[in-house]
Order: sequence, then C-alpha cells, then structure tokens
Amino acid sequence: MKYQKILPVFAAVVLLGAVHALAGDVKIIANPGLQADSITVTELRTIFLEEKRTFNNGSHVEPVLAKGGEAHDAFLQYIGKSDDALRTHYRTLVFTGGGTMPKFLDSDAEIVSYVAKTRGAIGYVSGDFPTEGVKVVPILPPGAQVERKLVTRIEPEYPVSLRGLQIGGTVRLLVTISAKGSIEEVKLLGGNPILAESATKAVKQWVYAAGRSQTKLEVSIPFDPNR
Amino acid sequence: MQRRFLGLVLVCFFAGHVTMQAQEFKLFDRTVQIHGFASQGFIYTDQNNWLTMHSSQGSGAFTDFGANVSVQINDKFHVGAQVYDRNLGNLGEWHPAIDWAFADYRFKSWFGIRGGKVKTVLGLYNDTQDLDFLHTFTLLPQSVYPADLRDSTIGHLGGDVYGQISLKRHLGGVSYTAYAGHRHDTNYTGYAHLLVKYGITHANYGGLQYGGDLRWNTPLRGFLIGASRMNEDLTATGTSFTPGLGIVPFTAASRASWTDQFYGEYTVRKLRIDAEYRRHIYDQAIDKGVLCTISDVRGWYVAGAYRFTRRLELGSYYSHYAITSVGGGPFAALFPDQTDTSLPANHIYDKVVTARVDLNRFWNAKVEGHFMDGYGDSSYPNGFYFQVNPQGFKPNTKALVLKTSVNF
Repeated sequence: MKYQKILPVFAAVVLLGAVHALAGDVKIIANPGLQADSITVTELRTIFLEEKRTFNNGSHVEPVLAKGGEAHDAFLQYIGKSDDALRTHYRTLVFTGGGTMPKFLDSDAEIVSYVAKTRGAIGYVSGDFPTEGVKVVPILPPGAQVERKLVTRIEPEYPVSLRGLQIGGTVRLLVTISAKGSIEEVKLLGGNPILAESATKAVKQWVYAAGRSQTKLEVSIPFDPNR
Repeated sequence: MQRRFLGLVLVCFFAGHVTMQAQEFKLFDRTVQIHGFASQGFIYTDQNNWLTMHSSQGSGAFTDFGANVSVQINDKFHVGAQVYDRNLGNLGEWHPAIDWAFADYRFKSWFGIRGGKVKTVLGLYNDTQDLDFLHTFTLLPQSVYPADLRDSTIGHLGGDVYGQISLKRHLGGVSYTAYAGHRHDTNYTGYAHLLVKYGITHANYGGLQYGGDLRWNTPLRGFLIGASRMNEDLTATGTSFTPGLGIVPFTAASRASWTDQFYGEYTVRKLRIDAEYRRHIYDQAIDKGVLCTISDVRGWYVAGAYRFTRRLELGSYYSHYAITSVGGGPFAALFPDQTDTSLPANHIYDKVVTARVDLNRFWNAKVEGHFMDGYGDSSYPNGFYFQVNPQGFKPNTKALVLKTSVNF
C-alpha cells in the first residue's frame, strides 16, 4: 500500500530530474570576440557538421569538441548524431577532401582554455563548469522568437476617410529584418486593407539594431480613430 | 609474399600511432593537417577464386593505404591532396596514384566549386568505397560498388559545383553536386584484366565523364533519399592478338554509357538501414563496329547494421547483381548473347554477415562471411575472372573475409 503512493511521486521526481539533466548537462561557450548572443540548434548543427565556417553575420567560427563524457553525450542530442556517426562524418570529410578534422579535447578545462584564446572558437562544457574567460551562448529553443531592438520607428498616417468614418482596427504584419537591421520584406497577415497600406508604408522605414542573422517578427499596428 | 607482409607492417606502423589525432603543423599561420590510413585483408573461398586472387588457397593480396595533406586557407577556401595505393589480387599492383587533389572555394553554403582531381559523388558510398574504417563491411555490396572496377567511378579530373540548401516549412534540406571531367582508368583495373582473356591489352582507357547527384535530408530525422546520374563518352586504345594476324591495333568507343543510381538511408540511434539500386548501360563499338556489345548491368542491395556496444557492430546485407549482354557486328558470334539472368553465369546473389570490432577509435578489425550464388561470367567484369579460374566456374562460392585497418 505504501509503495502504491510512493511510486508515482518517485516517477515524477525521476522524470523531472531527467528533463533537468538534459537541459543542465551542457552549455555552449564561445570566444569572447565571437558576435553571438544566442544560437539556434540549426546553427549549431551547421557549424559542428562543417557545413559553414562562419556565422550568418560573417564571423569566423571554429568548432571544438570533447572526446567524451556527459557533456559530450548531451551535446550530441542537439547535433542529432551518435558519437560514432559524428566521427564518421568528420573522417568522411577529411578523407574525401571535404573538410578538416576539428579539435577534440580531453576535458572541460582544456576546452575552456582553448576557446578563451582562439579566435572564433565555439565549444561546450558541463552545465556547472566555470566559464571564466569565455562567453556562454544560450541555445534558442525551436520556434523561439529572437528579440530585435527597434531603433527608429515611423508612425503610420491615419487615412482621413477612415478616421472620419470612425473605422479603426489592428493591422498584423510579418516583417523580415536583415542582419544589418533594415526591413527586407513586409507581408500582411490581417487587418483592413486601407489601414494595412498605410501601416506597411511606415513599417518599411523602420530601422532595427544589427543582429546575428535575418529575423522574422510579427508586428501589430493599432489604428484608433479616437486618438 | 614480401608485399603482403608490407601491408601488415604498414598496419602495425600506423597502429603504433593510434594515440595521435591528426598530425598538424603551422605554415604561414595556417594549420596544415596530415591524415593517413592503411588496411590489410585476407580472403578464403571454398570454390571459385575471387577478385583476381587465388582465394581458394587463402590470399592476403588485399592491401591498401593512403595519406593526405590539407589546409583551410580561409573560411571559404580549402586545398588538399591524397595519395592512394592498393593491391587487390592482380589489380592495383602497388601503383600509387593521386586519389584526389583539388582546390575548394565555398562562396555560400548553397554554392561552392571544386577543381582538380575530385572524388565522384555517385550514390551513398562511391567516394568513400576505399575507406574501410568508415564502413561496417569489409567489402561494400559488389552489385553496386565492385572493388575490381574502382577506377571506373572513383574520380574525375575536372570540376564540381555543389551546395546545401535548407528548405522552408521544416521540409529538411537538399544537397546537390554537378560535375564534369575526364576519367582515366589505369591498366591495373578489372576491365583491363578481363580483356587480357580475349588477347586485348589496353594502353589507354578513359574519356569524358559528367553527371550529378541530388539528395534530400527529409523532415524525418535520419532519413535520406537521393539519386545520381553519370554519363560517359569513352574510348580505348591498345593492341590485340588475333590468331593468324598477330598483334594488331585495338580501338573501342562507347556509343552510350550511363549509370543511374537511387538510394535511401535511415539512421536511428544505433541502427542504420540503407538500400541502393544501380543500373549501368555500356554500349560500345570495337574496332569501328567489327564487334558491338551492349551490357545492361543491374544491381541492388539492402543492408542493415547495429552498434551493440562502443566496440561491437554487426551488419548484414543482401546484394543482387544481374547482367544481360548482347552482341552485334560481323564477329558477334564470338560473344554469345547472355539474356537469361537465372543462369549462374549471368548473376551473383550475395548474402553477407559481418562483425566489426573497434579496438580503439583508430583501429578496427572485421570478420565477414559471403554466401554467393552465381559468378557472372560475361564480357563485363564482375569479380570472377578466367585467369584465376582456368578450370571453369562452380555455381556457388562461400568466402571468409578478414580485415584490419587503422587511420589517423
């Protein structure tokens, strides 16, 4: 009887512990000179599978890996390959001329030391390992919206005819922002077409702060005829 | 015999360096990497001699090794070269050659170019077929990756364009390669060896080779499908011995030569399953049409491998090879048509089981058993040669293959 009550609690603790372990077992670190405030899983894979040697903003990157250990095992889940498959991938590149072998180091301490002194280096260590001399780069969860700082905002003109008719509403736009911060594209998601035309014209003049890569954001522009 | 021991010595030498990763040094502030590999094998067959070896007595004439040097000049520019040498029975015969040597400039992730001697992308494993340490099996399915015909597909002197494109809406990504160049076969390849049976000695064999590959990493993680196509325009020159005429010049030219290959691979955790289908058509005119032959070679396999522990992987595959061949011209009677693929002379069906043991990260050993039905004796090479089987062929062959390889 006692065990029937304890078992679900025990299972919940184990499950929560496992989830926490996955999230806390590894953290991505980078050389302080690397222009990266966060990184997506896709970018991690692209870099560590040597599909690219630069970030989207053109910064040089050099992947550094651990030879083994819990942090390495946790990291592999982001890459989507087993240790054996990842090493086979690197050897295939090396022996067909498609790339070079990245550095594999023995310990978290060696990885921190190498990343700290090497331009563009990016690696990973245990979640609780000290990271003096390097920057920790959080991994963005899938679907997470990247924050972009709006530097210049132009307010849209309220169409006189619609204001006079007391017609208002909210226009929803999907805005594509370049890595440099300029507006590349504006798509209408919803709202009055006449209000949308005015909103689009204004949003196209907005300027955001430079970011790591191109970003898509949803923007809502309210039109209140009483203001 | 001395050269067979040389292979074992090379393996032991490299094995002595197994604690090292890549050898690297700085040159003009760039990191230059050096890598190498070596393998030594042994084959025993119960009946027919296989792959030009006297395998029915046990043969260690199964050695290869290579070394490469490469440097990343900057984030987009990479150069390197690899030398390769092998001995496989009466093929290869210790003639080292440039395996690849090219400059690679990657403008964007979706567009790059390579120029020089480049490994050819054809199916899943064409460009890595020599690299034993990358594979579960000692011999890749011979229906698709014949070890005796390595020269015909391994590389081209020319250029490639290539790239990877991520698809929107979580549709995965595609990788593409398109290439064109010149193929040159050595005289130590299966085709040249086969023609000796007919009194023909190749001096030169090769020509234009162009094609492409497209593969899709599907949204289902670990599942990849793709297709390759290769076209060729080949010529051969040499001499032939004709009774009554003596040694006369020999020429041959392809009228059509192409290969289609379709493949799929699924990897999940420790399991890998792959399958490929290849069809090769070779239509040639010999001595300006005195004899014409059209060979239609179709091969496919299904393979699976599972890594039980860090050190042990087991695998198995079924390989299906069938050939039809028809002749034309005034001397067509010399090469009777072969169209019945149920005959052992026109097929090789091979069931294989393999155990791979990784002694450490750089050294592995494999034990493999082959159970072959058929021997595919035709005017197109396929692993069984008259020169080492003068008494004729038995319908079935069992083979034990042992191999060890190292890389650094």
